Amino acid sequence: MSTGLGEGVYEVFARKRRGEPLRHIGYIDAPGDELARVYAWKTYDEESWFEMCVVPRGAVIPVNRVEGPWAKNVPEEADGP
Amino acid sequence: MASYTEDELKKKIRGGYILESPEEMTPGYRRALIVQLTVQADTELMSAPAYWFAARHAPSTNTQVSAHAIIQDELAHANIAYRLLEDLGVSKEHLVYGREPHEFKHPYGFDQPLDNWAELVVANGFFDRAGICLLGDVHRNTSYGPLKRALVKVDMEETFHLRHGEVWMRRLARAGGAATELLQRCVDWMFPMTIEWFGLPDDLKHHSGQLDYKLKGLTNDELRQVWMSSTVPLCEGLGLSVPAHYDEEADEYVLEYPFPCEYDPDAKRWLFDDGEITWQAVFERWKGRGPMNEIYVDSVRRSRGSVASWLN
Ligand SMILES: [Fe+2]
Ligand SMILES: [Fe+2]
Repeated sequence: MSTGLGEGVYEVFARKRRGEPLRHIGYIDAPGDELARVYAWKTYDEESWFEMCVVPRGAVIPVNRVEGPWAKNVPEEADGP
Repeated sequence: MASYTEDELKKKIRGGYILESPEEMTPGYRRALIVQLTVQADTELMSAPAYWFAARHAPSTNTQVSAHAIIQDELAHANIAYRLLEDLGVSKEHLVYGREPHEFKHPYGFDQPLDNWAELVVANGFFDRAGICLLGDVHRNTSYGPLKRALVKVDMEETFHLRHGEVWMRRLARAGGAATELLQRCVDWMFPMTIEWFGLPDDLKHHSGQLDYKLKGLTNDELRQVWMSSTVPLCEGLGLSVPAHYDEEADEYVLEYPFPCEYDPDAKRWLFDDGEITWQAVFERWKGRGPMNEIYVDSVRRSRGSVASWLN
């Protein structure tokens, strides 16, 4: 779903420290990858993250679940994991 | 795909069930969650211009920075709540840009002007604390997984806003003289404003479903008590008078003024002497919105149209 300024959704993942898991911490709307990086870094500034990355919502392919925000990305020919 | 009846879902939720996607919701659950999130998102959004206008009164560059850091947090909180709504199929575009100013669902307190530095820091001490009471309760209890996770960040940052308020209230209280007088005037209008924010008392409240669906854990009256249990001792400790005290026998905080009562927004004064009014009258005042409503809404979206037209 996009907003009036041609934005798409990006999922935000971050790792607090070395040795910790990369966690899904939220999402932002942005009109492209470059601004998605900036918006994510500025929006989720509650920690000094060791690592942060953003993924366009459309690029997350669910393996087993058929509900939720990524459900529509299941490949059509898929028949379970 | 789950298709529970309302009662089945409520029962599952009582057993600790966490919902992870809109497909699992019943119509009743979805409706109640949308109401809750809209109030949350609008409150965060409208706190930003309220604090932004007040930040002009910051007494130094350092304080400008901390005030603007709070404003930045609030906008991020708003964004997160609107994004959750969008995943429920509600258009963020419409919510932010498509409504009339009076249709926003934030509390009446964020329709009021904050006219000096003392009012900003008391807003942090009172309004942000109300936010923590309400959202902390949601964080601990909500049955909606995405909201629970989103609130980790919000809780952390709201605690910083509250500290900012408390530290500055302490400084102004210690200064004495004009600073303390001004602080007392802030408390006089903002204490009852926050009390009213928590809404209808439990004995008048019609059932909203938010408790049955575990979208929150505490009732309005319980939340009001939680807020008072930290605010009243804080103010008393600073030598500020508040129209409430702890009643040993009842084991709760009691108000010392007619509640609810009428408010004069131009004079920033509660009309205690005119006595208790009905909640119907309160709802009408809220619906009519306060003096800064249109200005605040306009300030967060005034450039949208032109920029959108350049890009499209
Ligand atoms: Fe906030
Ligand atoms: Fe806040």
